[in-house]
Amino acid sequence: MTLEARNLVAGYGDKSILDKVSFTLNDGEILAFFGHNGAGKSTTLKAVIGLIPVQEGELLLDGERIDKLPIAARLDRGIKLLPEGRGIFPDLSVKDSIDIVAQRNCTPGGSKIKKDDVYELLPNLARLRNSIAGEMSGGQQQILAFALALLGSPRCILLEEPSVGLQPDLVEDLFGKIREICARLGVSAILIEHKIASAMAIADHVMIINSGRLVFNGSKAEAETINLWSYF
Amino acid sequence: MLYLQLFIDGVVSGCAIGLVSVSFSYFYATTGTFHVAHAGIYTFSAYFAWWLVGVGVPFFGALALAVALGGVAGYLTQRLLYERLARNTASPLVMMIASIGLLTVLQNVVAILFTPNIVQFDLTWRLSHLSLGGISLSYPQALILVSSLVIVTALILFSRHSALGKRIRAVTSNPDLAEITRLAPKQVFAIVLAISSAIVAVPGVLIGVDQALQPYTSLLVLLTAVIAMIAGGIGSLRGAFCMSILLAVVQSMSVAFMPGRWSVAAVFGIFIVFILFRPEGLFRSRFSRAF
Ligand SMILES: Nc1ncnc2c1ncn2[C@@H]1O[C@H](COP(=O)(O)OP(=O)(O)OP(=O)(O)O)[C@@H](O)[C@H]1O
Ligand SMILES: [Mg+2]
Repeated sequence: MTLEARNLVAGYGDKSILDKVSFTLNDGEILAFFGHNGAGKSTTLKAVIGLIPVQEGELLLDGERIDKLPIAARLDRGIKLLPEGRGIFPDLSVKDSIDIVAQRNCTPGGSKIKKDDVYELLPNLARLRNSIAGEMSGGQQQILAFALALLGSPRCILLEEPSVGLQPDLVEDLFGKIREICARLGVSAILIEHKIASAMAIADHVMIINSGRLVFNGSKAEAETINLWSYF
Repeated sequence: MLYLQLFIDGVVSGCAIGLVSVSFSYFYATTGTFHVAHAGIYTFSAYFAWWLVGVGVPFFGALALAVALGGVAGYLTQRLLYERLARNTASPLVMMIASIGLLTVLQNVVAILFTPNIVQFDLTWRLSHLSLGGISLSYPQALILVSSLVIVTALILFSRHSALGKRIRAVTSNPDLAEITRLAPKQVFAIVLAISSAIVAVPGVLIGVDQALQPYTSLLVLLTAVIAMIAGGIGSLRGAFCMSILLAVVQSMSVAFMPGRWSVAAVFGIFIVFILFRPEGLFRSRFSRAF
């Protein structure tokens, strides 16, 4: 599956934040997406999933224009989002959250990632099964949010700082799992991160945005030869 | 014995108001829409049942049809009114004004379709009584008591344990996430208003049987129900129900101790005490959204 953005302009209301952002993401690839606070990373992902309208430019999924499609239609095509902040249902237990999201996203035969798969992939979650999500620690909530974003048949997952609140060894662990999921299931991912070194370790491509404009877009090998910080 | 009788009367009327309160609360906690027209659906379904009984439909059949009508009316209200307003990013105030408008429309439709008058159900058993050791309970009162306990218990169990109930709680607690995890929050809102409106038809009809049907008094019933919801803790169904009973008992018993015209003041007195000293409500809620 290929996700392609061509000269994407998007923002809030009449205001544009993104300034002709273009990139291509192929099957199974991980795109690390960096930039200063307020640079436009979240805005880019919101435009991709449809939470904000695309004002100009095009979004293509396997060549099909998706920038006019409603959120639900993009979700149907396998675009998934782990949102910034609280990606959980505070009132529900871990088990209930996963049951409900699985019920609405997994089809009996065909889903790539089912209930049992997330428990297997994230054993910590299995231990928290009966905890109320809103009463768990920040890191525990983050793992649940990650699980909820995976359920179903993802083809392209948009991850907003999945490592927030996680202890260091769990960050490495989580990133390893992201790599594994992408490789094994042919899922591609855009990974917004402030932990640059950890994200670089699993990335295929790197993109840096500064005040709404892409200032670097290249392979990991290219990114390793430059000083990324000079683009912030 | 007088006190006991007043107490029982208070409990019964509290149960009926409790159903209004619980159903209002269920929708308000989920969507944040102050659905004043709930009072209109209450009246509309009651008069509909009265009309059905008048044309010869057996009472429980009429009650069931009124419940169904309430459900449909609620579903359509969300889909055709609130959802469209929300799409145009209407503020909560605008939603409430629209809801008041709908209430007025429903009241007028009742007057046009059925009757603009205060009427009573033509049912022989209306005035029959059960006597239990000196306390007397009319058949309609007994019906209110039993049905409200059953409905509230069923709603609480539904909310806690059924898949749809959990989905509703998920949408309530994080509507944005619900959208991107395909829980279809818009559909859920309509389902919740359908459930709430089906429930509110029951006290509408039963209070009508117990007392009389009045086209323009339902707003007062709703006011008490809303006070009970706030004092009971927004989002707590149990809180709304218990607080309705408490308020109604105080109102009913106050008649024995002070002039009748003070009874409404007593209700507001309790309300003020509660919001001052226990602003989180009777029970801590685990079912609400940040307003
Ligand atoms: N809801 C909103 N309404 C209006 N402007 C917004 C909104 N959200 C973000 N912005 C503006 O858009 C710009 C980009 O914000 P965005 O959230 O995309 O940044 P980001 O790169 O994700 O930053 P961070 O690393 O802090 O998450 C900022 O200047 C911000 O002020
Ligand atoms: Mg951001």
